[in-house]
Amino acid sequence: MSSSRPVTRRQWVAGAAGTAALAGCGRSSRELDPVSILRVGTYSEDLYALMQRIISEHRLDIRGKRVVLKPNLVEFDSNTVINTHPKMVHAALEAFRAAGAADVRIAEGPGHRRETLDLADSAGYFSTIPKFESVFTDLNLDEVTKVNLVRPQSKLNSLYLPQTILGCDLLVSMPKMKTHHWVGATLSMKNLFGLVPGGVYGWPKNMLHWAGIDECIADLHSLFPKTFAIVDGIVGMEGNGPIQGTPRPVGVVVAGADPVAVDATCCRIMQIDPQRVGYLRLAAGQDQVREKWIPQAGEKIASVATRFALLAELESFRLSGSGSGS
Amino acid sequence: MVSYSQELLDRQNNDGGWSYRTVGGSWTEPTCYALLALAAGEVSSSDAVQRALQWLASRQRPDGGWAPRDGVDESTWVTALVLLLPPEQVLSIDRNRASRWLLAQTGRESGVVHRLRLLLLGLGADPSQRFDGWPWYPGTAAWVVPTALTLLALERFDRSEKDTLVQKRIGDGRSFLLARRCRDGGWNHGSTHALGYDSDSYPETTGLALLALHNATPAELGVALALGERHLRESKSLEAASWLTLGLLVHGRTPSVGAVIPHQGTVPLALGVLAEAARQGKNLFVQ
Repeated sequence: MSSSRPVTRRQWVAGAAGTAALAGCGRSSRELDPVSILRVGTYSEDLYALMQRIISEHRLDIRGKRVVLKPNLVEFDSNTVINTHPKMVHAALEAFRAAGAADVRIAEGPGHRRETLDLADSAGYFSTIPKFESVFTDLNLDEVTKVNLVRPQSKLNSLYLPQTILGCDLLVSMPKMKTHHWVGATLSMKNLFGLVPGGVYGWPKNMLHWAGIDECIADLHSLFPKTFAIVDGIVGMEGNGPIQGTPRPVGVVVAGADPVAVDATCCRIMQIDPQRVGYLRLAAGQDQVREKWIPQAGEKIASVATRFALLAELESFRLSGSGSGS
Repeated sequence: MVSYSQELLDRQNNDGGWSYRTVGGSWTEPTCYALLALAAGEVSSSDAVQRALQWLASRQRPDGGWAPRDGVDESTWVTALVLLLPPEQVLSIDRNRASRWLLAQTGRESGVVHRLRLLLLGLGADPSQRFDGWPWYPGTAAWVVPTALTLLALERFDRSEKDTLVQKRIGDGRSFLLARRCRDGGWNHGSTHALGYDSDSYPETTGLALLALHNATPAELGVALALGERHLRESKSLEAASWLTLGLLVHGRTPSVGAVIPHQGTVPLALGVLAEAARQGKNLFVQ
């Protein structure tokens, strides 16, 4: 890690737009924060201790802060693994509470199904997380405020966004590690699509597709650059993700304060080339996703790398030299 | 259902509208469904209805449409819901301007520019994209839910104001829905396949599409009715069960609903009232 990394676009945009207040988390030296790769074999392991470790190792000062956990809750299919595992979210909820957060909420705005609570029930959130409904906000139906985009990459000039997100001190993106049939991989940055309210834009949030998917992901990242990322890679999804793919056990949780660095690292674990992922290039530039610029902690990428099956149309995303083994 | 109606009354905001949840600012969608439910249900309150109508009337935009809520400066699909309200109830609303706004909306994918672009790129257009449906939000593609609701709204409008353009759009909308069926015969949000992979239907959208296609023949619907009955047996969602009940009843089926899970927003509560009223022979969506 070098302390002389050039100022990234997202850092510049954040400063110019004064958006730090949107999701600041009280940390001091974000540039030096590593990406943690933590080996976790199954969802039966002590995920609470894992979350405590992440909070501690990343020096997250969340005392008195309002924290929002944003899982990836899309659809439910008992034959595959579409959503962030509820045990991960429950463990994070308890760990952030124990670390002194004033309030911890779980919030999501699914893109296809309108009945978010029914979906959460099917996906096991009610049975796993005590009093789930009292800690959950459906972002599709939340109060909204119009936010202007400064130097947008997409065709959008503004977005209506939920008050729950705009008013929090720390947004924690908790995606599932999955392939995506349009953009290559869906991780902590793509997970921000769930912030956009269906109550305004509909189900699906088709406005984002017409404005450019990669570009909109980059724009959302520019609005919430200080999002903390915790990726559920214990069992990911390969093939025709993000909904119709097949489970792919990886046995890792990846975390960090720089979503670009976290997502680029996840791509390498999945043996996808982050430099071919459009939204990573837009958000950070080609250089910023190079492995040498991203400090790693915990496991080495090579020791957990797992070749995710890709649709034939996406083979160009494959990390060169990744071979054909697992 | 009396308890659902009473709960709806209890949830009304001081400004006359309804939130999606027990607390929160008023939105157009839950306000319209609550008004429909009050018109259909056993519990009535003329004061509540008048305050709600006032809330709606004061929010019709200069272009004739409605925004989803205060603070959003764009008319959207919710305009169809206002036009679905009983005409005798909404005398203070300019229904002609509302209908003109709806008629001006089409899915972006069926437009000449998009279809020409696909042609120039050598990409074949999806045959279902030649029919004009309705989008959730202006300038985007058409989808099943806004198309189905706008169909019902324009049919209601057309009963009082015969208009050839309205009738053409109703015909196109029906064709759009019939062309957007999933491989299992039902409907999801409107994307039947992506990159060669087929998608399956959802219970709630299948129910709503069946309701909007209330004039379709059994041959046109194929296995959709049997699928709707299967979805209903398996569904625990009040919203899905209500749409399926409404959709199956208009095709002469006698749907039976199992136990639904108890977390219910304002829209599912209102739909529950409307589905029960339809069982009693009062289907406000098609009457």
